[in-house]
Parts: sequence; structure tokens; C-alpha cells
Amino acid sequence: MAMTDYQLPVCGPDSSAPAGLDASDPILSMRGIIKRFGTTLANADIDLQVRAGDIVGLVGGNGAGKSTLMRILCGGTPPDSGSIAVAGVEIDTGHYGPAEAQRLGIRMVHQELSLCSNLSVAENFYLESPDHTPITPNWREAHRKRARAALDAVFPGAGIDVNAKVGHLTIGERQMVEIARAAANTDLRLIVLDEPTSSLDQERSHQLRAFIRAKSETGTAFIFISHKLQEVIDIATHVVVMRNGGSVWHGEALNASIGQLVQLMGGNVDALKSHRKPSVTGPSDVAVRISGALTELLGHDVDIRKGEIVGLAGLEGSGQKDLLHAVFAPGRAGHKGVSRLGKAAFIAGDRTKEGVFSLWNVLDTMSIGRIAARNPLALVSDRIEREAAIKPAAQLRLDEARFASGILELSGGNQQKALVARALMSDCPILLLDDPTRGVDIATKQDFYRLCGEIAQEGKALIWLSTEDAELLTADRVLVFCEGRIVKELCGKEISEEAIVAASFSHQAHGSAKQVAAKSGAGRLGRSLMASAPFIGLVAVLATMMLVNPRVASVFGLDLLLMPALSLVLVAMAQMFVIGGSEIDLGVGAFAGLVSVLSATLLYDNPPMGIAAIAAAIALYAALGATIQARRIPAIVVTLGASFIWGGIGYSLQPTPGGSSPEWLSAMVNWSFDGLPTSVILICLIGLVAALIDRMPLGVTLRGFGNNPAAMTRSGWGSVRYAWIRYGLSGLFGAVAGLSLTAINTASDINSGNSFTLLSVAAVVMGGSSLIGGYISPAGVVAGAVTLSLIGALLGVLDVSSDFNAASQGFVLIALLVLRSLMADRRDEQ
Amino acid sequence: MMRRFDLASYMQKNPWAWSAAAVVLIWLILSATTGRYSLSTLSGIVLSASFLTLVGIGQMFVVATGRGNIDLSIPSVMTLNAYIALIVIQGQDANLLLGLGVALLLAVTIGAINALLVVGLRIPSIIATLATGYVLATATLLANRMIPGFMVSPTLNYIAGARLAGLPVMTLVTLGVVVVSTFVLRFTAYGRMLSAVGQSRDAARLTGIRCGAVVTSAFLLSSLLASATGLLLGAYINGAFLEMGQSYLLQSIAAVVLGGTPIFGGAATAFGTFFASILLILLVSTMQVIGLPPGTQDMVQGVVVILVLALAGRKAGLGRARTIPALKTEAKAT
Repeated sequence: MAMTDYQLPVCGPDSSAPAGLDASDPILSMRGIIKRFGTTLANADIDLQVRAGDIVGLVGGNGAGKSTLMRILCGGTPPDSGSIAVAGVEIDTGHYGPAEAQRLGIRMVHQELSLCSNLSVAENFYLESPDHTPITPNWREAHRKRARAALDAVFPGAGIDVNAKVGHLTIGERQMVEIARAAANTDLRLIVLDEPTSSLDQERSHQLRAFIRAKSETGTAFIFISHKLQEVIDIATHVVVMRNGGSVWHGEALNASIGQLVQLMGGNVDALKSHRKPSVTGPSDVAVRISGALTELLGHDVDIRKGEIVGLAGLEGSGQKDLLHAVFAPGRAGHKGVSRLGKAAFIAGDRTKEGVFSLWNVLDTMSIGRIAARNPLALVSDRIEREAAIKPAAQLRLDEARFASGILELSGGNQQKALVARALMSDCPILLLDDPTRGVDIATKQDFYRLCGEIAQEGKALIWLSTEDAELLTADRVLVFCEGRIVKELCGKEISEEAIVAASFSHQAHGSAKQVAAKSGAGRLGRSLMASAPFIGLVAVLATMMLVNPRVASVFGLDLLLMPALSLVLVAMAQMFVIGGSEIDLGVGAFAGLVSVLSATLLYDNPPMGIAAIAAAIALYAALGATIQARRIPAIVVTLGASFIWGGIGYSLQPTPGGSSPEWLSAMVNWSFDGLPTSVILICLIGLVAALIDRMPLGVTLRGFGNNPAAMTRSGWGSVRYAWIRYGLSGLFGAVAGLSLTAINTASDINSGNSFTLLSVAAVVMGGSSLIGGYISPAGVVAGAVTLSLIGALLGVLDVSSDFNAASQGFVLIALLVLRSLMADRRDEQ
Repeated sequence: MMRRFDLASYMQKNPWAWSAAAVVLIWLILSATTGRYSLSTLSGIVLSASFLTLVGIGQMFVVATGRGNIDLSIPSVMTLNAYIALIVIQGQDANLLLGLGVALLLAVTIGAINALLVVGLRIPSIIATLATGYVLATATLLANRMIPGFMVSPTLNYIAGARLAGLPVMTLVTLGVVVVSTFVLRFTAYGRMLSAVGQSRDAARLTGIRCGAVVTSAFLLSSLLASATGLLLGAYINGAFLEMGQSYLLQSIAAVVLGGTPIFGGAATAFGTFFASILLILLVSTMQVIGLPPGTQDMVQGVVVILVLALAGRKAGLGRARTIPALKTEAKAT
């Protein structure tokens, strides 16, 4: 790695131990770490040593390789080569995962937070260290205590309610929970903090640093990754600077200054300036005008003219990205104060997510920009597109021979060139660049800067968001953002990294990261209204029926009405656990039908064999769930296919309805207790069992998977294993549903369960379970299922033809979903 | 530049070739072993497959929009339209135009409602189309009471049943739809937009594509084709019955997936859907011919679908790991 000529004292890894501490073996020693992604060298031969009590500040631009190195350290990605030793013990990098890292006392606080937003703070503490869970109904209390203690230790006075759902916390509060959760563990050797203060206000940031200092004195080491360099210099004992996959400097923090670190992190910016001649433009060439609240602090509107490169800078998430999107789609709500003349093309730096199309080749990726502007029925010819692509490709030095290659086969830099070529081909006068050099090697970056200069010379307006302040030195003007507003406009010679950094922080003192109030009164009212909707519906249906026909209110009447609902409630419970995992089961009704057939034939004739057959069916059902997870195939189609298998087996066993219910089975629905309606008791019991499972640690884990599977895996939970458990549980409820069908009908019919499949989905959705997974509510689902099965009876009481049964169910479902969707909109806007 | 013909890469680039090859292979094996298969039985199979292909193409457009989008209202749309045809056309070609108009109106309405629920209200398509299916089921029951008799339009009956130079007219119509779909997918801006939307909503939106409009169009196409199939199937079987659309639910999805359209969306192959439909019908009729009991036939169908998916799942896993939660909603536009 080429060293720059900045005179910083460099010390090798061996001399980096502070004189005062004992020179014992480092607790972490990474040597010669190399990691490639395709053609990109993410980590090029990196050495990193950390001793007990060290606080290592790790800095570097985006794409410098910090995250990759940390992922390797925490067992998230295996390195291509290199060795890792923890406390002097070599690790087999081939068999090293997150769980192993945790056992060794290494924890990481991720930048993209890895909390489950559907769970409470205390439950999230449980997910991180499930070992301390007592087997009591009140098992949460232990985690509440730990959570409270940990939060108070790191952030005294933060006042975060450990029973609050994480999703209801502000982003800053979530970050605090995440940090406290990692720090709460015992036997910690090393904590990696990735941008821990990005959402914290000054006070909390100070608290965190005080905590880190205190904790490090007890021997725990820290790796502190941050773009906020003064924080790094303030807290770290050592600093490691990374650039383009290599470590370019390491030494004691005392010897480092912000300016020097920035220069070490950035490219050779001096060479860039020479490419740019300030363009001469008149007032008539205005391409974009920014006004209103955005520019309030600036005191004047901002006009962006053709031929100009305007940089957007500021700390990440300060509103730069919003402006870029507002210029792209100025008509949208929330995009006030921005107007543009002329078309705009967007060049995304997050290429995987927002830029490339993974199934396409380079030419397709380039040409879609201009194709998108055409009439949908306009013809597309590869030959014509190729001709149009040749010139921009040449300008970008993108080899024409690669047009037919898959876009993902290209390096990050070349993918980015293809995206720029797309924008050039679509011939838009305004180009919006969203951190385009992210993860691009230095040579391509230089190429890229030259190119942007050329494009601007041709009379296009470039609005360039960058997270690397250094590269904005190539811009004509820089707008610096802070907390959603433009706080500074730097022109020409005023542009310097110091000025940008200073402006980025200028308005931060008086406020913290935007605190979004999720707990407003209206939102809470809406939420509780939605939560009680299934019960209100049930009561309304029952009340109507009782009004019209008073006999319904009798024990016998209720029993008669609700007994048929029993099976649907059970199937709905089975469906609920699947939907809780963000999947859907279109075979569960047929499965219940199969178990019903098994119980009325095999179980009746030969009980041991019947039990074995039903157990085998449940095992098969669970195996299917594991297959869905392991092969990552869509549950909808697999379970729809499975429904044919269940139905087929059942039909082969019993082509026509028949069989008999074992006596003990029938007896289970034919008892009565103190004159109470049996069906009501049974339904309540089922709801209770499901609710208990849901409240148990197991239920919490399953919901965690439904909400944030990536985070669960990072915390060391096995996704396939829990797919087994989830579908096993669901199969169990489905099987009991089948038994109940046999018991109630005293015979079996393979088709008896079919109608339950779609009804169960409807019941779960009506019951208030979230469609995105992770939110289930057993009581609501019971109410939903009962309501749905009562609709037929209600129509009968009201003298409406039973033909309207399905339609009523459909309308109830649509109405509820529409209502919920509208409520969700309102909550988003708050 | 001359390149040697590479079968493996050709098959990879043209996923329809797999199902086509499977059809030919099974056909050859059956003819050789049983001696009972002739070209005329093949044309019977192709005729049955034509109905499946038509709805399958509609389903394919919806699946291609990605995010696990799927249209579960297809069977209800088919059945309802068969009934509407009986009621409005009443076996008279004079009423044919009116009947077609009603069917068109119905299809557009249902497609628009599905799209409104999915795009406008961001309800997962599986639930939204399930709910519309419920409502349509009741409409079908009501229509069932109103039918004046089982008289079908001669013109429709001709299209559905007649042969032209030995080839079923229905198959020719279907092939026409397949060819037009292929052309649209490959050579028009719409095809590119559909593919882009299916691969990545965010990336598509940032190229300026109106994602909502593209998804809406797919749901409209799906209900239009299901509606047309319903009319023709009714004419073919000379009437209508309540369960007539039911088997098309799994089969339409299976035809799309077997044909090589990725269930994650982003690509589509009309010829693949066509050959996979033939494959499925061939499978079913073979099982009937060799006398497998109906239960076993169902089991085999289910196993085939799951096996193909499990194998295709690994193929997708080699590239970028793509998972789709079943219940993904259309993302908010901003």
C-alpha cells in the first residue's frame, strides 16, 4: 500500500502496546486477512492486533473494507486466507460462525441495527443471551432486570421502558438498547461498535464514551468504528486507518489529528482540481431550484445551473438523500420546495439494491433508462440500443466487448460506469448521483471524477451526494446538510474538508438526531382500535344473532353454533404460526383433512398404527417447512403442492366419506362442565394454549425470526432448526384440527378440511396478525376464526341466502385490510 | 464472431427448452412403451393444455412482477365468466358481442380491483386476490341460479372445439397469444419494464419506470386471460359447473414455474408456460391411461411441483440469495 507523505509517527504492531499495560498476548490477533468479492479486493492482507483494555478506533471511507474485516472477525464471513487468534488460540476460520464468536466473548453492535422491532426491549435482551432464562411463567423478569441494569450502566437517566416494543422507540433509543445489550454480557473480551453514535445526541455520546473508558479499564477491549473523527480521537487509544481494502496507517491516537486522518482516508484530491474549469453559466440555465424549509437557515433559495457540479455533504442521514429523491420526483408528498426544469436521471451508489438488475446483461442495464421513457408498446431493438450505447461507453472507457456480460460479473466500478452510461444514454440534462463511488477502487474513482467534469462541461447539471467529503473538492459548490436542512453553501475556493466537517456539525449542538414521536395519542388510539376490531366484530355478530333469535343465547344454542368453529380455530392457529414466520401455508386445510381420514380409518382400526401414521404426517409436514427454509423456496407454491399430496394420500386411503370416530375421540367433544357450552370452553382452551406458546421463550424466538431473520442468525440462532419447530408446531395444531373434524362429524371426508385453508388465512389476518411476520395475536385470531364461521349462521338468521357466505367473508376481509392499510398510512405520516 | 453452439448455455438462456425437451422425451417413451400414443392423442392433450396455457400466461405476467405476487382469483374469474356467457349469450351468436362486452367489463373490473388492493392499498397479492376470489365465488353461486340452460354460442364452441387442418382452433388461438406475449416480453419497452420491476422495485423506480402502472397492467392481463379462458372452456364443455376453475389454481402456478419463469419474478417465458402446460396435462393423462388411482395422481402432481421448485431453488441460491416472504406488500413509492 502506497504510503502518503503525511508525517505521522508510524509504529508497528509489536510496538503498539502502551508502555503501561502488561505486554501479554493480544486478545485478538488477525494476520494476513484477505477477502475478495468477485474482482474487488475488500481486504488486502490486513493485520490487526488488539490487547486487553485497548480501544481501537477504526476509520476509513465507505468501501475501505472496515465492515468486511469486522464481519470476518465476528464470524459473519469467512476470509479467503489469513489467520485469527483469540486470546492466543488459533481459530479454524472454516468453521467459525457468529455463535462461536459469541462464545469467545466477541460481540458486535451493527450499524444496521439487529434488534427485532416487534419484541420488547427485555425480549431482545433474551435473544442475545437466552442462557439466563428461568423456566417460570415470569421468565421475562430476569431479562427486564438485566436490561434495566445494562441501560442504566451505559446510559444513566435515559429512561427507556424495558417493556416497550423496540419498534415504538426512536432510532436513538434503539441504538442505546443495542449497545447496552451487547455490553450486558459477562465474559466479554471485545466489543465492536460500528457507528455507535450515528443516532445519539451529544449527551448520550459522552455517556457512551465514559462507559467505554470505564469498561476498558476492567480489561474489555473495544473496536470503535466511526466517521465522527473527533470522537475517535477522543476515545481511542490506538487508531487504524483503512483505505481501499488495506490498512494504511496505525498508531497511537495521541499522535493523530482529524486533518491527518482525513487525508490518509481520502484519495489524492489535489490532482482532481486540475480537471475542472469553473463553468460559465447564466441565470437562464437554472435546472433545479431549492427553496422553502430546506434553505431556511441559508436565508436564500439555491439554484442549480446546467454545467455545474453541486455536491451534497453532511453526516449520513442529514437529509441529503431526501433532497436527491425530491429532485428526482418533485411531485410527491413531502418533497416540497424543490422544482426542476428538465428530466433527471438517477445514478445510485447502492448498486445492488437500487441500481443494477441482476438478471440482465450490461447492455440491458444501460438501455433501460431511455427505454423507460418510451411508450410501453414501443419496440426495442438490441442493435439500435447497442449503437446508442457505444458513444457513452467509449466516453466512460467501458469496453464494448463486455456488453453481453451479466451485469453482476462486472466490478463495482464498471457497474457504476454502466449506470452512468444509462443516464447519459437517456439524455437527461440533470444527473443525480447518490454516493456513486461507494466501494469503487481508487483508479476508477479518479477516472470517475474526470468524467464528471467532462459531463458537466457538456452542459449537464450534476447533483452529487457523497459520503466522502474529500471527493467533493471536485465540485463547483457544496451544500452542507445538518438535520434535514441546508446549513451552508460553499463555493469554489471555500470548499475544503475542514469547512465541510465544520458545517456538518454546526447545528448539531442544539438538538439530537431527530426524535420521531411514535407514541402520539392518535396513533395509540388507532392501534388499540385495530387490536380490538376482531373482538368488536365477534360481539357484533353474536349480538345481532341473539337479537334476531333469542334462542342463540342459550347454552345449547351457543354450543350448536360454535362447535363447527372449533376446527377452524385450530387450523387458524396452525396458520398463525406459519404467518408469524412471514410465510403462508396453502396446504394446512388439506393436512387437517388427511389427519381426519387417518383418525377415522387407521386410528380406529389399529390405534398404535394410527398414532404412528399421524406422527409421521406431522413429521413430514415439519420437514416440508425445513425444506422451504433450507432451499429458500417460496412457501406458497410448496404448500399448495403439498396440499395435493395430503389430499392424494387421504383420497387413496378413503375415496368416499366414511370411517368412524374412535369413542374416546368423540367423547372429547361430548362432555359438559357445569352447564357451560363445551365448544366455548374448548375454543378458549385452544386460544390459551396458543397464547402460552406465544408468550414462552420459544414463541418469542419464533416471532423474532418472523421479524428479522438476519439478526436472529447473527445472534447465533439456527434458521432451519426453527423452521422445523415452527412447522412442527403448526402441524400439531393442524393434526388436532383433523382429529376434531373426525370427532365432530363422527366420520371423515378428505375434502372436509379444504375450505379451511383460505378461511384460516382470513382468520389470522382478521385477528390482527401482521402480514409482514413477527406479530401474531392468538386471542384475535380465535375471535376472527369464530366470527368467520359464524357468518354463515348469521346470514341464516337474517334470512339471507347462504350463497352470500363466501362474499361476506371476502368483504369482511377486504374491509379490515383496507382499514388497516389506511391506518398504517396515517401512522407513517406522523 | 462465430461461436460454437453450446447446448448447456442455450438451455440456461432459454428456460422453456427444458419443458419442451421433457414433453418430447415423455412422449417418445410413452409411444415406444405403450404404443397407444398417436399424434391425435397428442393433439387432444395439446387442446386441453391450451386452456391451461391461456390462464398460465396471465398468471405468468403477475408472477413476473416479483415480490411473490400471484393471482389466486383466476379460478373464480374463469368460472364466473363461463356462467355469464351462458346467461348473456344464451347460445345465440347474435348475443355474442354483448357477451364479450360483459366479459371484458367484468375482467377489467376484477383486474382493477385486484390492482387497487395490491398497488394502491399495499395488501399482499395473495390475500387480496384470495378475498376477491371469495366475493366472486358468491357471484358464481348467484349466476348458477340464473342460467337459462346449457346453450353455448356456436362461434365460441367452434373456437373451443373445432379443428383446422387437424389442429384444434383453440390451440391456434393459444399459440397466437403465446407468440404475441413472447414478442411483447422480448421486443417492446413494456417487456423490459416488466422485467425491471420484477427484479427490483427500487432500481426500476429510479430509472423512471412507473412501477404501480406495470403491476396493475399485469393483474389486468391476468383477469382478462382468465375471463377469456372461462368463456372458451364453458363453450368447450357445453355449459358450466361450479368447480370448473378449481384445478387451474395449482396448475396455472405450476405451469408458470415449471416453464422456467422464476417465482421471484423479473423474467417470463410464454413458450415455457405453453410447454409446461402440455407437460402437466401429459402427466395427468398418462397417469389416467396407466390407471393410477386418482389419489396417487394428485400426489404425483404435488411431488413434481415441489421437486422442481427445490431444484430450481438451489439454482437461484448459487447467484444472489433471494428470499421472498410470502406476504410481501408492494412497497411504498417513496
